[in-house]
Amino acid sequence: MRLIIRDDPASVGDYIANYISKRINDFAPTAEKPFVLGLPTGSSPIPTYKALIRLVKEGKLSFKHVVTFNMDEYVHLPRDHPESYHTFMFREFFSHIDIPPNQVNILNGNAKDLIAECNAYEQRIKDYGGIELFLGGIGEDGHIAFNEPGSSLVSRTRIKTLAYDTILANARFFNNDIAAVPRMALTVGVGTVLDSREVVVVVTGQRKALALSKAIEEGVNHLWTLSALQQHPWALIVVDEDATAELHVKTVKYFKSIERVQDEVERMHAELRAKGVPESDHNVGSME
Amino acid sequence: MTSPNGLICFTNCLLPSEDGSLVEKDLWIDERRGVILDSQRTFFVRKERPDRIIDLRGNILSPGLIDIQINGAYGFDFSVYDGDDEAYREGMKTVALKIVETGVTSLVPTIVTQEKSLYPKILNLLRPFSLLKSANLLGWHAEGPFIQMAKRGAHTPPFIIPAPDCFKSFENVYGAENLAVTEDWVMEGDQVGVRIITAAPEIEGVMDTVTELTNRGVVFSIGHSIATTDIATSAVIHGARLITHLFNAMPQLHHRDPSIIGLIGASPYLSSAFSPIPSVPASPASPISRSGSVRLQHGGKATSEAFDDHETPPQTPIVARQNIISTESIAQKLSHGKSTWPEFHLEKGHVTDMAFERPFYELIVDGIHSHPNSVRLAYGTYPEGCILITDAMKILDPHLKDGVHEWRDGKKFVKEGDKLYLEGTDTLAGSVVTLDKCVRNFSRFTGCSLGEAIKCATYNPAKCLGIENRKGTLRPGADADLVVLDRKGNVVSTWVKGKEVWTKNGSSVVA
Repeated sequence: MRLIIRDDPASVGDYIANYISKRINDFAPTAEKPFVLGLPTGSSPIPTYKALIRLVKEGKLSFKHVVTFNMDEYVHLPRDHPESYHTFMFREFFSHIDIPPNQVNILNGNAKDLIAECNAYEQRIKDYGGIELFLGGIGEDGHIAFNEPGSSLVSRTRIKTLAYDTILANARFFNNDIAAVPRMALTVGVGTVLDSREVVVVVTGQRKALALSKAIEEGVNHLWTLSALQQHPWALIVVDEDATAELHVKTVKYFKSIERVQDEVERMHAELRAKGVPESDHNVGSME
Repeated sequence: MTSPNGLICFTNCLLPSEDGSLVEKDLWIDERRGVILDSQRTFFVRKERPDRIIDLRGNILSPGLIDIQINGAYGFDFSVYDGDDEAYREGMKTVALKIVETGVTSLVPTIVTQEKSLYPKILNLLRPFSLLKSANLLGWHAEGPFIQMAKRGAHTPPFIIPAPDCFKSFENVYGAENLAVTEDWVMEGDQVGVRIITAAPEIEGVMDTVTELTNRGVVFSIGHSIATTDIATSAVIHGARLITHLFNAMPQLHHRDPSIIGLIGASPYLSSAFSPIPSVPASPASPISRSGSVRLQHGGKATSEAFDDHETPPQTPIVARQNIISTESIAQKLSHGKSTWPEFHLEKGHVTDMAFERPFYELIVDGIHSHPNSVRLAYGTYPEGCILITDAMKILDPHLKDGVHEWRDGKKFVKEGDKLYLEGTDTLAGSVVTLDKCVRNFSRFTGCSLGEAIKCATYNPAKCLGIENRKGTLRPGADADLVVLDRKGNVVSTWVKGKEVWTKNGSSVVA
């Protein structure tokens, strides 16, 4: 796992956007072989989306051959509701980039058969050959997607009841009316996220500091579902200074030191690929 | 240039919202159907996104402007019909095609008081009308003939009449078929064109007609009137929802009887329980005049139909009798109410509910018909009701150079900016301001934002006419009638039903 620390959320967004942009451009996606990208909602990824939009407008990045899968959606919230994740994704990202609408996948929280919807979603991901890169954020309780504390770490896409913490945190988006916050959501599972070839997680702000520490400084624990990332071969967490508040100084120093080495590794990776060595023969994500 | 899939996205622009703010947001339209799209639905349900993207470079993309009172333009006078239907239709076309350069995409042609026999003919010609690449003529606004002689402005005295048979009198004048009720009269095709009728509620028979007109979807507008506060308020309770060119052709604000102008500040305290309205008959033969209080100017001098040729001094409301009644009724309410009045509310900023809604009011913001202070005074009092109009004469034409021009009957006029004088006099000859300029003036006069000024020429007039789902807004499903304004409020380009119909540089915007 790598941890990248930047000064503030905007720098974090720029870093991740440039990273994703490079990954997509290196992948050189086509209609037959699209880049499959997993996407989150929430306030943390907004700077990343803004930076990605800028890259698209500058002509440095295109989503013409990118297929996206979103992490989650509320159940029984109208798709046009201002707080639905459909609305969020359209407003913050999809309306500003060049992605064709039929390459966008978001769980339908209003499907008649919610279980069938979840299973079909998993199948669709499989049909595309799995997710290349899953971008995620976390909640204050360390949840990734709506995989609340206590979720199975091998879970798949399913219906989830939201934790009380999450409902309280989301109430601010529903006129502070707790009764108006949806109680359920459809979400990809921890297993779904871990199945993707690469996971990038954005964590910003002091309020997420404890969750970050629990996820990377302690053992794998279903009460902090992000900690499952410790078992992923190619994971990147990008944080701002505020989010490091609960980390040991030693941890911070260690990750800062490996960031320098990473640049060299990536150069090597590019050279290998230029020589035509097959992807599977080298693993750029594994630093240790 | 068209879009392969017929969808256009305007980006890098500010959209005026219905609360007067300007929001940085894209707008999607369907150029084939000529409507504004719900972009999110189009994306997720129709699974389409626009093939054509137009970068507006930070400009403002506003709903097309709506002028609900305009007498003519580009040499054509809606009130002049000389028996030739074709010539009249040509005039309508000219105005509809040319006016888009002023950002106006919808207008309500206004007919000043006519000889009675002309009404059915003209009004029949003025049914809703539009051409490809032209503004929409939404129907008609009849100003008169049921107006107050003492406030007749430039209306011709012998044609001004009372309505002794109430609605029957209205049908007699305008033609029953022109006032017919239709289910969806909002627009399209050959439908009936009645939109607005300006009349004076104190004129015999008028008050009793307000409700019937309102029920038929007609906007009753109070104007060319000397109605007292009580009469004016009663008209609003009966359904009147507009005041014609506020401040002009009505008694000036008197603090003891604020009359029509006072409606925009109508007090919740007095918004209900009025005494019956005594009718004040008026006939062309005997205009209400108390000796000394009405000064007659020389007829025909002031030719703006909005200007008074009878001045009524502010300190003497003309119908003093009602003034006394009204004062008594206030005193009565004060002494009676104690036990029945509810408790005061404790919410700062909230105003007690009114028994009726205050009417919309038109302002001619050319800097001449109303002083900037008066404009700000009205707007500050009731911003939601403010509607900008040009009330323009047929000589409106932004290309007309300053100097001496031919007018009619061998007369000439001198144009000096937005001021028009009869040659050799200092008599103003009416309004020639364009609506886009009114928007800019309004922002300067009131100090409000450009977005708030735009609202007064788009959303507010549309709401007054009850057509805000189709015109004057950027709601999904509304007609894609749009105007691009730069940050100084100048028109850059105009779109009607999804098609670009005018650009500043004469060529199409290239995307």
